[in-house]
Amino acid sequence: MPEEQSARQTSIWAVGGGKGGTGKSFLTSSMATCLALQGKRTILLDADLGGANLHNFFGLIRPRSSLTDFFEKKVPLQEIAVHTGIANLQLITGSIGSLDSESINHAQKQKLFRHVQALDADMILIDLGAGTHINTLDTFLQADKMIVVTVPEITAIENMYQFIKSVYYRKLKSIFKAYDLNTLVQDTWKNRTAHNIRSLKDLINHLKLGSDQICSIFEREMSGFVVHLILNEVRTPKDILVGENLKRVCMNFFGLRVVYSGYTSYDEAVQKNINNKESFMLFNRLSPVVKEIRQITEHIVTQTPFPTPEELFDGRVA
Amino acid sequence: MAEWHNYYNLLELTQEATLEDIRNRYRYLKNLYGGDSIEIRALGDEFSQELRADYLRRLDEAFEALNALPEKNKAIATLPVKDLDDDLRHWIAQIECFTGASLKGVRERMQVDLKEIFAVTRIQPHFLDDIEQEVFESFSAEVYLRSYLIEYARFFSLDTQRVLGDYLPRYRAGRSDADS
Repeated sequence: MPEEQSARQTSIWAVGGGKGGTGKSFLTSSMATCLALQGKRTILLDADLGGANLHNFFGLIRPRSSLTDFFEKKVPLQEIAVHTGIANLQLITGSIGSLDSESINHAQKQKLFRHVQALDADMILIDLGAGTHINTLDTFLQADKMIVVTVPEITAIENMYQFIKSVYYRKLKSIFKAYDLNTLVQDTWKNRTAHNIRSLKDLINHLKLGSDQICSIFEREMSGFVVHLILNEVRTPKDILVGENLKRVCMNFFGLRVVYSGYTSYDEAVQKNINNKESFMLFNRLSPVVKEIRQITEHIVTQTPFPTPEELFDGRVA
Repeated sequence: MAEWHNYYNLLELTQEATLEDIRNRYRYLKNLYGGDSIEIRALGDEFSQELRADYLRRLDEAFEALNALPEKNKAIATLPVKDLDDDLRHWIAQIECFTGASLKGVRERMQVDLKEIFAVTRIQPHFLDDIEQEVFESFSAEVYLRSYLIEYARFFSLDTQRVLGDYLPRYRAGRSDADS
């Protein structure tokens, strides 16, 4: 039963991060290209329902069929998928206009994810687009690899914290809902000042201290909960450290496990390639970004952290 | 032993860490959580002054305890600073905390007059002097002091984040003492 086996091995990656314009689509399409070139049958799903534009990264015109057809005309996902011109890589586009992430309901969302899981592929990469809408968070949470992209700018970082917090809180809520402890979480959060709870981390510690049972539920459910962080548009060596710092801050403040998977340098060639309708990973042989994306992809596959150079830690690299 | 374990945990190190590791990590974490980098400012209310003070206090405590361990007592490697001669680089690397006095020390060692800094930065010499003397009441708002410190640190090729990280907490402490 080779088919069933391959279906079970499908790995789903979801890429989010809160703020728009941080390079999520670029990185998702580049990583997908990278995986496809390694011979993995890869499907890219553009789930940025309000503003799907992944086709641009392959020099394609907007595909005629999109997720709208899946929702409204019940067209199977496999039929919506178009070839990207790169071997092993197909694209399922979101839709512009009539559909956005707020207008699909829970049942539709579940259906979409079921069909995504059933797709015949080795890798499925989902580009979630910006924002922290519930549909975005839930898709993110159902992926095998959860990936956030940010840039070393305060606005992007603030939105990334918000996104990570929302994801984490949603995850917690789903755990407690499954174990029928939903009201406890909400009540505890409402009375957070009384319990001296100052952060999400405090909240969890408070709940864990309160009951051994909750403690073991939590340990079990959260053991595989890891967020992969990619830092895009790095301009100085010091920027590289921002990813490392963000990882620590997330662990210290949100009690969340983050792996810093790597960074990509700022390179004007990237925008040039996109505007010229050239697939960046195929056409650009000079940019350091190509190598960086390959490394990031490898780090995410193997769940290894980016080795931040020691000399960056002492704060003396400008 | 549980205590030691906590200290190492706070510094995110294992017991195999050398004194150099401990010092580097301490500086790095103090810089990160004591400074106001974008990673920290983006936290907003999440990281209140109260939380920050609490964390930094525990960090200092852990560092002092581990730093005093006799088995860790090894020589510290010096760290490279661009555009400075070896002696001076070595000397600056020894500075544990950038206070007003140590900033003045750097300036005097480089034989620079306050007026020379003024010529480049356009910061009035009396403000520069107040920074060195730690006359905190001269700076009604942190934002002014912050920009002066950045200019000051840049002038001497010091790490601005480290200077801010060391100096601003002193200012905040000094101001809150004056208020109460």
